[in-house]
Amino acid sequence: MRRFMRRVATMTHGSMMDSIRKWVPFLVLLVLVLFFSAVNPHFLSLRNFARIAVSSSPALMVAVGATFVILMGSIDLSMEGTVAVCAVVFAMLLNRLGGSLAHVGWVAIPGALLAGGVLGAVNGLIHVRLRIPSFMASLSMGFVGVGLSLLMTGGNRILIDDPLFRSLLTVRVLNFPLMAYAALGGLVVAWFIQDNTTIGRNFYAVGGGEELARASGLNVGRVRVIGFVLAGIFFALGAILAVARLGIAETETGQGFMFLSITSVVVGGTGLAGGSGGVWNTLVGVLIVNVIGNGMVVVGLPDYLQDGVLGLLVISAVYLSMDRRSLSFAR
Amino acid sequence: MTDRVAWTERLRRHFPWITLTTLVVLVGMTDINFLRPENLLNLAADIVPLLIMAIGMTLVIYIGSIDLSSQSIANMATVLTTIALPSAGGSAGLLVIVAGLAFGAVSGVVTTRLKVPSFISTLAVGGIALSVGQFASGQQALHMDAEQRRHAFGWMVGRTAGIPHELIVALLLVVVAWFIQGRMTAGRTFKAIGAGEPVAVASGIRVERYKILAFALSGMFAAIAGLVFSVKLSGGSPTLAEGFLLPAIVAVLVGGTPLTGGVGGVVNTVIGTMIVAVIRSSMLYLNIPAMGQQIFFGLVLIVAIATTIDRSKMRIVK
Repeated sequence: MRRFMRRVATMTHGSMMDSIRKWVPFLVLLVLVLFFSAVNPHFLSLRNFARIAVSSSPALMVAVGATFVILMGSIDLSMEGTVAVCAVVFAMLLNRLGGSLAHVGWVAIPGALLAGGVLGAVNGLIHVRLRIPSFMASLSMGFVGVGLSLLMTGGNRILIDDPLFRSLLTVRVLNFPLMAYAALGGLVVAWFIQDNTTIGRNFYAVGGGEELARASGLNVGRVRVIGFVLAGIFFALGAILAVARLGIAETETGQGFMFLSITSVVVGGTGLAGGSGGVWNTLVGVLIVNVIGNGMVVVGLPDYLQDGVLGLLVISAVYLSMDRRSLSFAR
Repeated sequence: MTDRVAWTERLRRHFPWITLTTLVVLVGMTDINFLRPENLLNLAADIVPLLIMAIGMTLVIYIGSIDLSSQSIANMATVLTTIALPSAGGSAGLLVIVAGLAFGAVSGVVTTRLKVPSFISTLAVGGIALSVGQFASGQQALHMDAEQRRHAFGWMVGRTAGIPHELIVALLLVVVAWFIQGRMTAGRTFKAIGAGEPVAVASGIRVERYKILAFALSGMFAAIAGLVFSVKLSGGSPTLAEGFLLPAIVAVLVGGTPLTGGVGGVVNTVIGTMIVAVIRSSMLYLNIPAMGQQIFFGLVLIVAIATTIDRSKMRIVK
C-alpha cells in the first residue's frame, strides 16, 4: 500500500528527479568506491571488501535497530549501553553453559536477544509512560546500560574461544565471512517487518504524522514501545556480531556505536523527522560510512585527518541525498 | 479546575531549582560536610568549563537544534591556547574565541543553507575541529610554560575573598548570555524560532541569520570552555575535554530547556549544571561503589527529567 502510494505520488509529481533522488545515497556509495579504487587499486579487491563487510556487519544491525525508532520520528541513543549489556550477557551465558554453541551454549543467543528486548522495553516505557523525550530517556538508559555491563564484568574482558561461534568470522563462503551473511539475514528480517507487517506500517504512520495516526485509532504509545523493543533486539544482534568479530565481550564493546549508527541512518536517506526511508537505506548508509572509513586507511590518509574528512564527506552525502523540497527548514 | 491547572503550571516553572535544593538538602543530610561553603564553592569551581559549554549549548537547544561539536571545539581550543601562548600571550585567548565562533558559524551555515540536520552537521564539524586539534598538537599532550601562563592568564586562577576567579569568569559569561537571551533582539528571535520556526519565517524574521548566530555563539562558548579548562590544567591535548558533551546536553535538559526549543534558557542551564554536579558528587557522599555510579547517574537523571521538564506545551512527546 505504502509502495503504491509512493508510486502514485511520483507519477503525479511526474518529475524524474524523484526517482533519481531515491537512488542518490546508492550513487554516492558508488562514487566513493570508484574514487578510492582510482586512488589505490588495492581498495577494489575481494579481500578488502570482506574487511569492509566485517566492520559493517555489527554496525548494520545496530543501525537497523535505530532505523525503526527514527522512522517513528523518535531517536534511540541507548545503543552503547544496550550493546555492552547484551555482549556481556551473551558471553557470560555462553561460558557458563559449557562454552560452546554446539551444546547448551546456544541458549546464549536467545538470552542476549531477550536482554536487548527487555532493555528496549524499559526504554520505551520510560519514554511513553513518563512522557520523557526519547532523546533523554534513551540517553539515560544508555548510561544505565554501560553501568550495568560494568557491574556484571567488574571491568574485565570476557574471552570467547568457541570455534563454532568464532566461525562467524573465520569461515568464509565466497570470500565473505559468515557474519556478513548473518547480518544480511537480519536485514531481510527487518525488511519483512518493515514492509509486510502491521507494526512496520504503523511505524511509518506514527512518523508521518502522529496526530493523524492517533485520530485514526492507532495506539501510538504501544507502537512506540514495540519500536524500542525491536530496536533493542537488533542492538543485541549487533552485540553478538561485535563479539564474534573480536572474540571479546566487555563494556567497551558498545563504544562508538551511538553517533556512527545515527550518522549511517541519516546518510542512507532516512529523515530524522520520521516517516521516510527504511532499512535498505540504512544498509547503504552503513556501507557509505564504512567505505569512507576503510578507504581513508587504504589510500593512506594520515589518521589525524580522518575525523575531519569523514565529517566533510558525511555533510556532502546528506546534502546530496535529502529531498529538500518537502523540507522548509532543518532542525 | 482551571485554577488548579494554572497553579501547577506556575509551580512547574520552579521545579528545576526545587529539585536542586532538594538534592542539596538530601546529600547534606547524609553528610553535613557537603554543605560547608568551602565545599560548595569548590564544587562550583570544578564545573566551570562544563557550565560555560552548557550555556552555549542552551542557545542552540533553545532554537530547537542541537550542537554535538562543543566537546571537539573545546578540545581544539585547549590545543590552540597552549600552542599560541608563547607567541601571542594573552591574545591567544582572543584567537581561540574567534576560532570557536568560526567553527560554530560553519555548523550554522551547513544546517541552514544546506539543510543538513544539526545532529549531523555539528557532529561533522566536530570531526573537523578534532582533526585540527590532532594536527596542531601532533596528537600528544602539550604543556604550558608556568611563567607565560601566569603572565597571560594568571588573573583567571587564584581567589579573591575566598571566591575562585574562574567562578567570576563563569558568572560574567552567564550574565552575557542572559543579556543576549533576555534583553537583545537576537534572544527574542531565538525564542520565536524555537517556539515555531515556520511562524517566525512567515513574520519576516531573517531566521537563517539568527540560527547561524546561535550556532556561532555556541561554538564561541565551547571554545571559552576549552580555554578556561586548559588554563586550569596548564596544558592542552586533543582529548582533554573528553566526556563533556553528554553532561553538557544533560545539564541543559535537566535545567528545563526541552529539545523542542522555545522554553527555558540560560538561568535554567545554570541550575541544570548544578543539579548534574550535585548528583555526581553525591555519589561520593552516598558511598555509591564505582561500578554502580553510571547506573545511579542514569536513574537519577530519569527521575530528575521526569520531574523538571514542562510538558504542557508539548502535544507530542517524540
